[in-house]
Amino acid sequence: MRRVFVTGVGVISSLGFGREAFWRSLVSGRSGAAPIELFDTSDLDRSIACEVKGFRPRDFLTAAEVRRTGRCSAMSIAAARMAVEDAGIGVEHLEGPGTSVILGTTMGEANVLGELEQAWLHQGEDSVATGLIPRYGTTLLPIHVARAFGARGMVQTMPAACAAGNYAIGYAADQVRAGRADVALTGAAEVIERLQFAGFCRLGAVSPDVCRPFDQQRQGLLVGEGAAILVLESEESVVRRGATPLAEVGGYGLACDAHHITRPHPDGEGSAHAMREAIRTSGLDPRQVDFVNAHGTGTAANDKVESKVLAQIFGDRQPMVTSVKSMLGHCMGAASAMEAVSCVLTLQDDVVPPTMNYEHPDPECEVNLVANAARKQRVDVVLNNSLAFGGYDAVVAFAKPDVLPNEARA
Amino acid sequence: MELAITGLGAVSPFGVGREAWCAALAEGEGARAKAFREGPSEVLEGEAFADARTAEVWGWDPKAHLGKRGHRSYDRLTKFLIAAAKHALADAGVKVEGEFAPPLGPEKVGICSATAYGSLDAITELNRVAELENPRYLNPTRFPNTVINAAAGYVSIWEDLRAPNTTVVDGNCGALDAVLTASTHLEHGRGEAFLVGGGEVVSEPLYLALKKLGVLADGRTDGQGVEMGEGAAYVVVEKPEAAAARGATVHARIRGYGTAFEPPESEALLVHCGADAVERAARMALSEAGVAPEELDAVVTATGGIGDIDGAEMAGLKRVFGEGLAYAPTKRLQGETFGAAGAFGLASVLAWMGGAPVAPVGAGAAPEKVGAALVSTVGFYGNVSCVVVTR
Repeated sequence: MRRVFVTGVGVISSLGFGREAFWRSLVSGRSGAAPIELFDTSDLDRSIACEVKGFRPRDFLTAAEVRRTGRCSAMSIAAARMAVEDAGIGVEHLEGPGTSVILGTTMGEANVLGELEQAWLHQGEDSVATGLIPRYGTTLLPIHVARAFGARGMVQTMPAACAAGNYAIGYAADQVRAGRADVALTGAAEVIERLQFAGFCRLGAVSPDVCRPFDQQRQGLLVGEGAAILVLESEESVVRRGATPLAEVGGYGLACDAHHITRPHPDGEGSAHAMREAIRTSGLDPRQVDFVNAHGTGTAANDKVESKVLAQIFGDRQPMVTSVKSMLGHCMGAASAMEAVSCVLTLQDDVVPPTMNYEHPDPECEVNLVANAARKQRVDVVLNNSLAFGGYDAVVAFAKPDVLPNEARA
Repeated sequence: MELAITGLGAVSPFGVGREAWCAALAEGEGARAKAFREGPSEVLEGEAFADARTAEVWGWDPKAHLGKRGHRSYDRLTKFLIAAAKHALADAGVKVEGEFAPPLGPEKVGICSATAYGSLDAITELNRVAELENPRYLNPTRFPNTVINAAAGYVSIWEDLRAPNTTVVDGNCGALDAVLTASTHLEHGRGEAFLVGGGEVVSEPLYLALKKLGVLADGRTDGQGVEMGEGAAYVVVEKPEAAAARGATVHARIRGYGTAFEPPESEALLVHCGADAVERAARMALSEAGVAPEELDAVVTATGGIGDIDGAEMAGLKRVFGEGLAYAPTKRLQGETFGAAGAFGLASVLAWMGGAPVAPVGAGAAPEKVGAALVSTVGFYGNVSCVVVTR
């Protein structure tokens, strides 16, 4: 099996555009939460979210790309352009069948669908803009990105709800390892849309003010949005073009709770299995994990179960844990991709971003939390944890280049 | 790639289960009349759909397959998927009378499921409440149906499948791309048996969207246009040695997979199929299978009624296989099932290998029997995926 490296990252987030702005905000503990501007919330009971504000597609996309994309695809292309630039990879390395694009999302172009359905339901089918119809389709995210770079290999969407980023990154690494791709542009994107926001509100999952992961007084998540793309390359590709890798992609673990469509298994069986597999397939043991980027949604059930799983896996030697959802909100399908970028930057800088808004320790959430301020500490191995609707569990390991044992390639 | 197909479950206009599917295909082109019945749609209601001609899962009774309780909040797609999964697991002997048959158990069985449009009808239903009434009235038990992977998630819950559950959305190529996903999971030991396939449903928003785009066959007299179908199909795939070790019957083997993407040259276009991509995907699948083009007996084509796309597909396939091979546009029998099309393509090949005639034959000559076939799927945006299936 071939080794797989991350050589570039790109982000569109509520905390800024691009790697530097994103990382600076996370490390400083800044929150992207603000009153929602994308739609009217007067008939909902919640009004705060982590929206991407000031995103102008034309700053990143060609005029033709702007015409054929919705907001979700536009953010994907923008993040991909940043990632490619960050990787310093020329178009000559991306053109052709050796480059695949594998992206996650929950609902893709949800706001295109929302716009179509609003027109249809309120004014009848004649008022639906025909030209808008082909812009809807979850399929389109990787299609648009592949088109932007001349990629001609696999184009695949993995809609794995809030674990979609990890699903896509893990699977993209599988394909590079297997030699089906030399380079993979992977990650995920998601937009905030009215129906989806209302649905989270009706589930009672949304906090009225801030997101407080692992805090005893946590009241739920804040919905977020954005796009994060990582450039994955085979070792051969990295060597061939003399690139400097940011991190190595280790193993990953998947499981399905087969328990409840929205709630995690109370004992976290699937989640624990996925985490063990991510460690095992990286050729590591739990003591070698320095930091876990928690799913940490700030909901009562998630944080309790996740804490239980971390205790099961790591026992008395708990790695550092943080939830950047306290700042980014829960970017749904994009969440674990954005957090993967954060993990990679932690490995680069040896800084763990904080879990903000933590004031009241919860005896049911006894984790080694990096609370309220970033921590400077050497980090060699990171696990990126995610859980999702559908009972999906996915964990991806990242490590500093040359830390993982050679025989460990998932 | 070497995957043993040990079971099939299908929910289609022909009925539910492997027997119903194979019996219908045994009738050759006669099956079409069963799928495209005269009379009104059972799904689309109202004046806007008066002319709709669809191949629906007629007389669908979820209680007959899922029992009376526990699925009230599930949408049509979810129920199709569960019924198809249940039949496939039983057909493969993964479950006997609803219980896992050792050596397989919950942690060893997973699912790789495709759909192109998912639960669009469920989203519309919720949007009706949110837009026309008040979002405060949204039923929270229906909200998960808006999430594309929820339908497959319900299958795992219903059948207690705890190995990875992966949903793939690649337009009409999804079910064949899910074959690679399952193969990858098996190779890495993430499970020992996987349901692979997908589902799609006839829905008001999808029908109206295609009607607005002018691509439906309804009302046309030129033989062109998309005829909307629906259904769900899963095959059970395992490593051949694992299937042999548990004494499972192997119906066929998937030996090679190929995929390619080619966008339109014009920056203004979005919908596209390129013959180069078709050729590349087909050759990749053949190469991986170690099978020469002349060893194939038939091709399930993706022909769906959109002239430019169908033309490009045939041009690409003929570059690889020439003129004489039997090209079977099987969507003529059951309509366009989008993300599930690749799964029904696999199901067609299984029926042919079981003795059903290759039908309809759009070009070339029907073989007496089928020992090897290629299934082709073509997305609307330039992606193509193929698999090679042999006995």
